[in-house]
Amino acid sequence: MHESFASELAHILTSYSNPIQPGERVTIVGNVETASPLIEALLAAVLARGGFPNVQTSAMISPDYTPFFELFLRQANDAQLDHLDSTMMHWVNECEALFFIKAPANTKALSSLDPARLARYRRTIQPLSETYLNRYAEGTLRWTVCAWPTQALAQTAEMSLIDYRDFVYKACGLDQPDPIAYWRSFHDVQERLVDWLKGKSHVEVRGPGIDLSFEYDGRPWINCDGKLNFPDGEIFTSPVEDSVNGTVAFNYPSVYQGYEVEGVRLRFENGRAVEASARKNEAFLLSQLDLDEGGRRIGEFAIGTNRGVTRYTRSILFDEKIGGTIHMALGRSYAESHGQNQSAIHWDMVHGLQDGGEIWVEGELFYRAGEFMVE
Amino acid sequence: MIENFAPKMAQVLTEYSVPVQKGDLVVINAPVEAMPLIEALYEAVLDRGGHPVPYVIIPNLGDVFMRKAADHQLDFLNPLAMEMISKADVLFNVLAPHNTMSRAQVDPERSARAQRAGRPFVEAYFRRIADQSLRWNICAWPTQAAAQQAEMGLQAYREFIYRACALDQDDPVAHWQALSARQDRLIGWLAGKQSVEVRGPNVDLSFHLDGRRWINCRGDNNFPDGEIFTCPVEDSVNGTIRFSYPTVYGGREVRGIELTFEQGRVVRASAEHGEDYLLTQLDLDEGARRLGEFAIGTNQGIQQFTGETLFDEKIGGTIHMALGRSLAEAGGVNESQIHWDIVHSMRDGSAIWVDGELFYENGVFVIDA
Repeated sequence: MHESFASELAHILTSYSNPIQPGERVTIVGNVETASPLIEALLAAVLARGGFPNVQTSAMISPDYTPFFELFLRQANDAQLDHLDSTMMHWVNECEALFFIKAPANTKALSSLDPARLARYRRTIQPLSETYLNRYAEGTLRWTVCAWPTQALAQTAEMSLIDYRDFVYKACGLDQPDPIAYWRSFHDVQERLVDWLKGKSHVEVRGPGIDLSFEYDGRPWINCDGKLNFPDGEIFTSPVEDSVNGTVAFNYPSVYQGYEVEGVRLRFENGRAVEASARKNEAFLLSQLDLDEGGRRIGEFAIGTNRGVTRYTRSILFDEKIGGTIHMALGRSYAESHGQNQSAIHWDMVHGLQDGGEIWVEGELFYRAGEFMVE
Repeated sequence: MIENFAPKMAQVLTEYSVPVQKGDLVVINAPVEAMPLIEALYEAVLDRGGHPVPYVIIPNLGDVFMRKAADHQLDFLNPLAMEMISKADVLFNVLAPHNTMSRAQVDPERSARAQRAGRPFVEAYFRRIADQSLRWNICAWPTQAAAQQAEMGLQAYREFIYRACALDQDDPVAHWQALSARQDRLIGWLAGKQSVEVRGPNVDLSFHLDGRRWINCRGDNNFPDGEIFTCPVEDSVNGTIRFSYPTVYGGREVRGIELTFEQGRVVRASAEHGEDYLLTQLDLDEGARRLGEFAIGTNQGIQQFTGETLFDEKIGGTIHMALGRSLAEAGGVNESQIHWDIVHSMRDGSAIWVDGELFYENGVFVIDA
């Protein structure tokens, strides 16, 4: 039993991830039915730090943030689906800091909805994410996505809620004697790795289920240290789009758009996945790869570094950070790592290197069996 | 949008399913997630002159128990629960899970130990069902966890249960009475018949009845309901079936099951997913490889697979068969630790022939009855 889980989490979120200054306007987005302990704790932490909190307990963005999403999507007519709530745009335009708490009451809430209506509403609210991503890029807004344990997430992970709470607690480093010091040193370790990788290009990944090479040609590696995601723990880059060659047989399943795909095998030639198969839901895999030209290219290559994330839970916020794994995203790359691949998809797939997998950079052994080998 | 269908459901449950009489001790065994139905049942039982006793299950406590209990606590039999099961006249069991996977990580030996400790309770329950001194019903109340398992939003799942229970009908009690009368006529037609053949694109199976009874599942013990079932003569089943639906048993999902029977015994078994689990269950004991039940689902308000057997086995237009223990009321004598219902759609043009006469085709009964 964790007596002050939410307060401890809120403390890190408001002092390390997204440090709130006096006078800042702070929007907290979270589902009132499932996330109220963390909403309360964040509210208290923002108040204590002199910020001006704005609590959005049922933002019509996704079922993660409101119990009413399904009702809205089922009943709204086209004009209502096309209507962008100006109050949401107001806080996205005005605030200096944003917290998104992922706490779904049902991870399959979208499965029974009409995909066309869902896509239509997603287009409507696109200015919301565009605005906060642009404001983040120009340095006028900070945002953090975090998670709060729910029965739905626990069920998806095939765990009881009490076990799942322990899992999230550890994943957030809250079991450490000084969690903030832990995340600071976490940042420093990754910063040294990212520095070491600077200016290099040639990467080879070898081991059980994988034999892959690519160039990153001086593109930056990004240190994911708990600022935008919490918990966090990865470093990533964008491979040069036509440089990926080799094969990978992913040893973790992956969930995308509600579909669980298992046993994905990909073979790349000059950056393109020329062969793709899966043991389960192969048809869905192929449909996504063929959505557009960029769907068959790698937009991201990353190494998961969070030792507190010890198991697969079918939730990508956690799965992609499992210490000892790598992940690759098919599709859209990130501008911050200078990727140029365009696609409607960004599908992260995780592969464990715990059983002796190695990463070689410019002929030097960089990583083996889950451990970094460089200074 | 349906605001609260609990009062309507409680009315059918207390008036039609298990008619509550003045003075009945009525236990409402339900998770706190089912609060609207607990309240509605409580009120309906009071109105009918019974004595309602809510026995409310609080989420997570069972999970805490399985994690923390020492051996002597796992072995403990709650005397208050024994008192309840020996005194109740009526028991409503409401399915309303808070997390359908909450036991997935529990050490199977600890669960088995706790189950052993609870055996006197289960035995008392079955004894009182058998001597008919306890009237009982299992029903379901929609929760997020069950909706998630069915891959639906809660709104969609609420509507699904509403229709499955025929609460969308003008007079639900009259609907269930008519379903019961229709099933009685089918069973009347089947009485004394000898042989059954099931044929279709994915099934070619035959078995004998030899005077085994068909039972009318009319909404008394399960709600919703809608099936007729019998127990095939244990060594008479021959042929092959490739089941169209997945099945969830013991918290595990198995898909693409194919079984071949020879003289009542499964001689070949395979599955696309979960085959290892299927084979271990089949090898648990001798009876696990035999059919304990053959049934036809008749609830036209259920047309969607949800992963919850209470609903899936009643889908109108399907048959199901249970591997393992048979049901004494139909005259079955197969013994096994398991009773695993697996559902197959007949809407692909499959048919059931009884003593050479076409009885059922493509999901519809075609005889005059």
